[in-house]
Amino acid sequence: MSRRAVRLWGGGLLTILTIAGIGLTLLPYFWMLASSLKTGGEVFELPIRWLPREPQWWNYPDALSRGAFAVYFFNSAVVALAVMAGNLMFCSLAGYGLAKFRFPYREASFRLILSTLMLPLEIVLVPTFLVVRGLGLVNSYGGLIVPLAVDAFGIFLMRQYIKDLPDSLIEAARLDGCSERGIFWRIILPNCKPALGALALLTFRDNWDQFLWPLIVASRDTLKTFPLGLAQMEGIDSAAYHEIMAIAVIGMIPTAIIFLCFQRAFVRGIAFSGLKE
Amino acid sequence: MARERAAAARAQPWPRWLGSLRQAVGWRRLSLHTRLCWAGFLFVLPALLHLIAFKFYPMLEAFRLSFYQYDLMSPPVFHGLENYRSVWNNPLFHQSFWVSAKYMFGVSIPEWFLALALALLLNRRMPGRSLIRLAYFFPIAMSQIVVALVWKFMYNPLGVVNTLLSYVGVGRINWLATEETALPALILIGIWRGIPLFGVIYLAGLQAIPKEYHEAATVDGAGGWQSFVHVTIPLLMPTILFVMVMSLLSAMKVFLNPLVMTEGGPNGTTRVLPYFIYDTAFAYHRMGEAAAASMVLFAFAFALTLIQLRLLRRGGLE
Amino acid sequence: MKRFLSVCLACSVAAVLLGQPADAQQTSITWWEHSNPPHNNYSKELVADWNKKNPTRPVEYEFFAMTPYFKKLSAALSTRSAADMFTVIDTLLPSFTTKDVLAPIRPEWLGYKNLEDMKKAYLPGALEGYIHEGKLYAVPMIASVFSLYLNRKHFREAGLDPDKDYPRTWEDIGRVGQKLVKMQGSTMVREGFDFAMHSSAWTMWYMEALTRQYGGSILDRAGRKCTANGEAGVKAMQVRSMYVHKYKISDPTVSQATNALPADDLPKGRVSMFITHAGSVAQFGPKVMEDMKVVPLPQVDPKKPISVVYGFALAVNPQVPEAKQKMVHDLIRHVVRNPKEWYEKTSYPYPSANFLELPGMDEARKTRYLDVFVGDIKTGTYVTRSPYFIEISDAMHRAMERVVLKHEDPKASLDQACKEIDAALAKP
Repeated sequence: MSRRAVRLWGGGLLTILTIAGIGLTLLPYFWMLASSLKTGGEVFELPIRWLPREPQWWNYPDALSRGAFAVYFFNSAVVALAVMAGNLMFCSLAGYGLAKFRFPYREASFRLILSTLMLPLEIVLVPTFLVVRGLGLVNSYGGLIVPLAVDAFGIFLMRQYIKDLPDSLIEAARLDGCSERGIFWRIILPNCKPALGALALLTFRDNWDQFLWPLIVASRDTLKTFPLGLAQMEGIDSAAYHEIMAIAVIGMIPTAIIFLCFQRAFVRGIAFSGLKE
Repeated sequence: MARERAAAARAQPWPRWLGSLRQAVGWRRLSLHTRLCWAGFLFVLPALLHLIAFKFYPMLEAFRLSFYQYDLMSPPVFHGLENYRSVWNNPLFHQSFWVSAKYMFGVSIPEWFLALALALLLNRRMPGRSLIRLAYFFPIAMSQIVVALVWKFMYNPLGVVNTLLSYVGVGRINWLATEETALPALILIGIWRGIPLFGVIYLAGLQAIPKEYHEAATVDGAGGWQSFVHVTIPLLMPTILFVMVMSLLSAMKVFLNPLVMTEGGPNGTTRVLPYFIYDTAFAYHRMGEAAAASMVLFAFAFALTLIQLRLLRRGGLE
Repeated sequence: MKRFLSVCLACSVAAVLLGQPADAQQTSITWWEHSNPPHNNYSKELVADWNKKNPTRPVEYEFFAMTPYFKKLSAALSTRSAADMFTVIDTLLPSFTTKDVLAPIRPEWLGYKNLEDMKKAYLPGALEGYIHEGKLYAVPMIASVFSLYLNRKHFREAGLDPDKDYPRTWEDIGRVGQKLVKMQGSTMVREGFDFAMHSSAWTMWYMEALTRQYGGSILDRAGRKCTANGEAGVKAMQVRSMYVHKYKISDPTVSQATNALPADDLPKGRVSMFITHAGSVAQFGPKVMEDMKVVPLPQVDPKKPISVVYGFALAVNPQVPEAKQKMVHDLIRHVVRNPKEWYEKTSYPYPSANFLELPGMDEARKTRYLDVFVGDIKTGTYVTRSPYFIEISDAMHRAMERVVLKHEDPKASLDQACKEIDAALAKP
């Protein structure tokens, strides 16, 4: 075979693989959407029903009426946005401090911070709950948000990114008499927008569907997040999968929107190459 | 530009109380070096205080409890090393440890390669590239609980996975209720969800490699493969190491999928360590033992983090 | 960027401040429950009714998804932050009572002279599952039992008369099942009979029933040693697996009996006979029930029927002051005062002595197999009382999975389960 033929075949194969890959990647989305529009009977029909005979749009309002879902979604949004804000704020502060300053025990504190990266929530559940109760935050938004407002991963991410910013930028500002706070707000933050975008996306996604922590800390319907609402749709030995899928579709919309917003920043913000200088 | 900004920052007054505080400690009289020391420390302080309250204190508390017999409801009783002994002697813990190890490497090793392949693919010039990228990266946006529910639904014996396989002549499998297939089924989900995220990270790393490097290699007569091995891989090393460690750590933490999809079954084949800890603590009411088990998990993870730091340093990231 | 951050931060601070607990009302009573839609809806009705009558001491009712609910309850009891009243399942009672986290129920506050007097108002044995060292710790709100459901249409298609030919013994199931099972080549497309295998609690319920029918028990009398690997236990396990391995009327790869739809094969016609609880009547709905028939749980010896009951009950938080505990007792009285309505709204029987004789029950006895369920409740006792119930049932469940899925020898598999159970029992 000539070189050209190889290239042609290779290109064709690559195209097929690309398309097949997209198919596999998006299959769960398709299945979720299709199932959310089926009747209860069509959901497990044999042979399989790829598309509903007739889209059941009423599944959506029906599913939403199974619980106070407006409240649950609102709570999830409050928690996700607040935790995201907290992380953007405190992680960039700490990341900056760790990346660009020298102070005693800096390495030790960084290592200490990293060590929490691996802490399973399951085990610190009870002690953390005791702290939150000590602060009087049980059964409040504060209790849902505050313990999650800083995460070691964010600090790590911001530190790596800020480390790659040129020192000359900071020194010039300092020589101009800019305060340290001013440097942070006016030099550092604007320069790490991509990293902040990446962090925003990841923290929003991970906190939009908090499950275990809200389960323990919130004992009131008005404070439940949407995964708790979703879980209680599965009663004892009963589950309306088409309605559960409808809620899942709605629950995906905010993360999808955030993803589309921050997608570009994401690719730039999460680079760990050390080559930017 | 910088000058304007600096001027603006100077014009902004400090809150009054902060000003007097600065006066009291004699901020202005400190040397620049000391001031920078303090400034750096103060930047880190809020996060550090938060972590002390919500991570280190609970962690120490868990460490303390690992020496106590504690059923959550009666007061804890000091127990020496008994918890560690009973965890060590518990075959279910050993099983969980291996399940976790299998899951960790089963998910992360394919991720390393497939994510890199994806990034290389998406870094090529092709029609509709941004749309293709969007499609591939979309699983990043799906939240945990939705992932678990949708896949549980797809793995149903009458679900879409079996239907697709039946087209190629594979018989019906009850994926989540068969010992041999339950863990691989969960691993597949982990890979499906992990590849896009790590693909993005690789892609970012690839894009940060200046074009001149490849051009120089081509001028020297290197083919595509040689250029990949001798230029791309070495320059991508920090990213590769980062992805390796992050994928291992995130796979180690998996909890919601087994909880929602298999409850650790069948016959414990999907009971990963975090799930073992959760069950031991809250279903069996053996908080002390759960704490001991999590100390083992934590030590394991901490060792991994240290290796990570060492590797990252060697990779030139520090 | 700065503005965006400030806005986000301001929002979160506002959320934290505004979201402070607003419960200055010390007089309100909190009630937690597991999620189960018909049950929750009726509970809500009862609460609304109570709140109308008692505006000064309103009830705050909350329910949580079933599986994590009991874990939340453990965490809450551990941190002294549980509700004033909460619904518990009978199997978990010993793990609470042995740790002193439930307040003893005072029969006199419920309008009975004493516990003996209260027992007379219930079916014999109905309160036993909630008694620990002579004291009652929870008041039943429902009792349920596992009975055999069968598809009448399938029976008639196979030339069987569902009213005469229904199985009485476990062997009957195998024989009848072979006429009902449907094959397509080598794959089973309709099971003759199946056990649910999605949860360790269900496994425990039927394994315990089977073991007792063979004259054995899961634990010894003192509850300190596992006896499930005795002769009776092994026979029980053989019954559990014989439909898969010997009669070939059941196939775990066909079964849909997954969480949270363990009984879904039956209404969809994918299995002809299935053992499930009384609540399924309401879950299937009247249309599906037209084709169904419910018969008593199959027996080893139909002359000496033995079954296993379970139930949900209301418990009182001992951490609240006595005056409030009294209020909670009033609430309990309010909740359980109308067994007939409970039954009609949730289809779970109430274990009161006069339940079947209540006015208006004839209809249900005729069309909803109430006699069958209550009959099985009468021959039933609660599962083994042990504070280690979940560990025991998980071990038994794994043993069952090894036998059914991997064809392991029942005796060997139960030996291993007993080793695990004994290890759990030996720990303090």
